[in-house]
Amino acid sequence: MTPVTAGRARPAHVRRRRRFSAAAPSWLFAAPALAVYALIVLYPAVAGVVYAFTDWSGIGRDMSFVGLENFRTLLADEQAMGSIGNTLLLTVAIVVVQNGVGLLLALGVHVKLKSRALLRVIFFAPVVVSPVMVAFLWKYIYNPDPSAGLNGLLGLHVDWLGDPSIALWSIAGMVVWQNAGYSMVIFLAGLEGVPRELHEAAMIDGAGTGQRFRYVTWPLLAPALTINLMLSTIGGLKLFDQVFAATNGGPGYATETLSTVLYKQAFVFGKFGYSTAVALVLALFVAAVSLIQVSYLRSREVAV
Amino acid sequence: MTDLLHHARVSRGQFLRMMGGLAAATLATTACSTRPETTATTGGGGATTELKFIGVADQKAPMDELAAAYGKATPAVRLTASYAPTDQVQTSLRTQLGAGNAPDLHVVYPGNGSAMSMTQIAQAGLLADLSAQAWTKTIPAGFKPAFQLEGKTYLYSAGSSVIGAVYNKKVFQQAGIDAPPTTWSEFLAVCDKLKKAGVTPIALGAQTPWVTQLITYALVPSTVYAKDPTFDDKQLAGQATFAGSGWHQALEMYLELQKRGYFNDKPNGTTFEQQTAMVATGKAGMAVQVSAVLPDFRKAAASPDDLSMFPLPGADDAAQVWIPAGVVVGLGAAAKGRNVEQAKAFIDFLGRQENINAWAKAIAAIPLTQDASSTIDPAVQSFLPFTKDRAVPFMDQRWPNAEVQPVHFAVVQELLAGDSTIDEALKKMDEAYRK
Repeated sequence: MTPVTAGRARPAHVRRRRRFSAAAPSWLFAAPALAVYALIVLYPAVAGVVYAFTDWSGIGRDMSFVGLENFRTLLADEQAMGSIGNTLLLTVAIVVVQNGVGLLLALGVHVKLKSRALLRVIFFAPVVVSPVMVAFLWKYIYNPDPSAGLNGLLGLHVDWLGDPSIALWSIAGMVVWQNAGYSMVIFLAGLEGVPRELHEAAMIDGAGTGQRFRYVTWPLLAPALTINLMLSTIGGLKLFDQVFAATNGGPGYATETLSTVLYKQAFVFGKFGYSTAVALVLALFVAAVSLIQVSYLRSREVAV
Repeated sequence: MTDLLHHARVSRGQFLRMMGGLAAATLATTACSTRPETTATTGGGGATTELKFIGVADQKAPMDELAAAYGKATPAVRLTASYAPTDQVQTSLRTQLGAGNAPDLHVVYPGNGSAMSMTQIAQAGLLADLSAQAWTKTIPAGFKPAFQLEGKTYLYSAGSSVIGAVYNKKVFQQAGIDAPPTTWSEFLAVCDKLKKAGVTPIALGAQTPWVTQLITYALVPSTVYAKDPTFDDKQLAGQATFAGSGWHQALEMYLELQKRGYFNDKPNGTTFEQQTAMVATGKAGMAVQVSAVLPDFRKAAASPDDLSMFPLPGADDAAQVWIPAGVVVGLGAAAKGRNVEQAKAFIDFLGRQENINAWAKAIAAIPLTQDASSTIDPAVQSFLPFTKDRAVPFMDQRWPNAEVQPVHFAVVQELLAGDSTIDEALKKMDEAYRK
């Protein structure tokens, strides 16, 4: 638990003086940073929205406003609508499995093992590798040859990335492999914050390991869970690199996600206007899902 | 404890100071990195022009060689080149073109049909007109649509490559095959012999999207264009469709190879690299590929001489066999760059016969124009009798938009997976064509 900061303990007149003397000028100090932020993040983002209502090809100056045409096209676009289904399936799979595995890893390396520091490093290691590298690596692991890669290891004969009914889950698998360590670290931070006294009190009351997890650890992990669920949901909804490098949306359209569709519309088909419209829908969708998720999860967090 | 983030407590003052510092640092870095981009002074004090080229990985070998030669001949111009795989170039280059800061020279794909193709970029007014250069006068008539838009030349390309079967001569010999097949039935018989000899007859790396199209491309010249050389024009005029043409037969033949078990197991999960290795190491007899990747196969083989090519016969009458021969990926000069004249001068240099020869040799292509010193890779010799009047450009080069080709990739994967029918596949391609 963080100790209560000194400022809160100060008498009222001290606090008031600080507010008058320090707070006003310090926003001025932030002005350069805010200006840079506005210039390189806010302005391009807002300026980009305009293109969603045009038929711009991405090159040249020819452009005309088409109103909501791009959004109507999106609703009728089989491929884009199919990709929404894929995106949701991938997201659910990643959120559930990644956080489940992450939690188990965190509980595993939280106990007093001699090698726990090493294990933490090993489990976290895939997180620092570039997602594209991971995808290329897994393309070798997912070799359909029965004597190679994962098939060879497990004695299977599965066409991991080439079978349309499996490919999506194979991608989910490699994303989980890469990011479970990230969830683990956040859960670990949460576990470190569970007061020992509560566990001791529960033990005195006769609670076993399972009960202590259920009634002490789990409720207190709620903030860590909120962050993990939110980050993995956002990550899943806008998943691009791994899909692009591993299957490029194939076989057929089996692993096409909203992100790969908007990429292709812009850079392969030269339809920047339409692509921006897809991007806008994706951004609003991600924002809406995250807001709902966070407000629900926050409501179940408990204070110690 | 209410929020994990509260663990990292930073006072507002600290936070704002940090942000201010970050902003100052950003500005400082930006200021430092602003340096003149086009001119660099050499030791002697004379200014040299720096030409920037962005290309695809396939262009590295010939471009490095010729850029060095140009540097020797024209010391006042220095060419800096960067290369990336096709997808990345397509992304970054289009963004640069859109933003109006294109490099002086950049990769351009022949004809139409892709986002970085000559027609699409020239239409936007972003390519310099090369028509005044001498080499453009000798472009063979059949190739003109690949180089020219409305009679003006916007593309430089060193020649053409063909699609056919890259085969392992040793494997063929061991299976008792003396000569490459010249008809479809002979081709099936060859596959059968290879299969009986215990090797995979045809390696197919359909996990890599562009590989999916090659077998159709190799067959369609015989099933479509041999019967109607004006098919493209009719299709553009809306008088012909994929579904109502020999495309149907070509896809049937494609799937027949699969049904007979002539492909490696699980082609949709096999990559181009694995396909290459299978043929190079003799695990497979052949792969239908474009001649431009012959160097990749040779690199992977124990002895490069083991590999050669033959035209894939798409008809049962040898006289009705046509082949696909497409202009190889080339380059163009940015119309609005700061060094348009120097960039055009470099292209003029590339247009000299000896440089066309050098470029073509590096990628096993057939030189655009030939003289006594032109060399033609022995592996593609067997295609030369076709190039005069039984060859058609790669199909996508005449397609009206960039959507047909990716749809073709996707439907082939669906067909190989058994998730679609030929009728559905061609219907999708026709829909994309009409967009």
